[in-house]
Amino acid sequence: MADLLSHLLAAYALFTVASWRIDWLDRQWVVVGMGGAAIPDLVKVGIVLDSDTVETVLGVPFSYSPLSKLGGVLLVAGLISLAFQSRYWRRVYPLVVCGGLSSLLGDGLRAYADGRASAWLYPFTNWRPPTPSLYVSSDPRALVVALVFAAVVLVLDRRVVDA
Amino acid sequence: MKLWQRALVAVVLLSVLGGLFVHADVTSEARSPYPAPHELAADYDSYVGETILIFGDVTGTDGGGFDIEAESEGVTIDLRIEGGSAAVESGGVVQVYGELRSNRKMSAQNVVVVNRSGGSEWYKYVVSALGALGFLVAFLWEWHIDTETWTLEGRDG
Repeated sequence: MADLLSHLLAAYALFTVASWRIDWLDRQWVVVGMGGAAIPDLVKVGIVLDSDTVETVLGVPFSYSPLSKLGGVLLVAGLISLAFQSRYWRRVYPLVVCGGLSSLLGDGLRAYADGRASAWLYPFTNWRPPTPSLYVSSDPRALVVALVFAAVVLVLDRRVVDA
Repeated sequence: MKLWQRALVAVVLLSVLGGLFVHADVTSEARSPYPAPHELAADYDSYVGETILIFGDVTGTDGGGFDIEAESEGVTIDLRIEGGSAAVESGGVVQVYGELRSNRKMSAQNVVVVNRSGGSEWYKYVVSALGALGFLVAFLWEWHIDTETWTLEGRDG
């Protein structure tokens, strides 16, 4: 997947553009949506605690991969929503899910040698959608594109707010 | 919603997520038609002639190709990759798509360099850590923990 900063910047830009049409979607809510964009990156917990180790300890097959799939995003978004006051849930859950989806869609553009992205719609389907293979996860150009996108939106947002 | 009710829902969601962690591993073959490295190591010859996709760490390069070490389930397998141009260094990470040949060799049809060298991995970690830190600051600027209800509350109400 792209680095976390790229995911967050892309989500910032998308939610800020959406805020131009949705009155209640101010900075307080944009940052909540950005949090959702970080969910697929939770799969990196495997760097700290290897899934093989968990598998050995628990004695059952184990993989963190659902965290970077649609099912994981929907469930973790629910957990995140629970951390908020219940009166916020109707806004928090859709925002966090949309943030997670933005990262999944971005990751769906990553390069795979066989031309197919990961099965990011799991567990709803095991299908691997075709990928245009635009970048690899360590490609700094992905971050540059996200930075430029976010900076342009930031400038435009100032003009929209001023207007 | 009371705190215990919130905790109960959280336990239910975590249980489903835990179930998904197990299900994903059990059904992983359904999402990848290719043999995993530990399967190759166990019965290499039965896969010779198949077209596979494999991820591996580059362990050596020369004019004719490069060597990779692939790992899964704690088992590693070394493969010699021939054909397919790729600018990689030892310590880099690649995806190789191609035909498996005898003597632990692969004819690459396509090679994607995930990390050109070991340093590329660190680039991702540093940039991701910066992102996490920046997000945390931005989030806590807008939200705080209400210690009466132990929930997040907007700073502007």
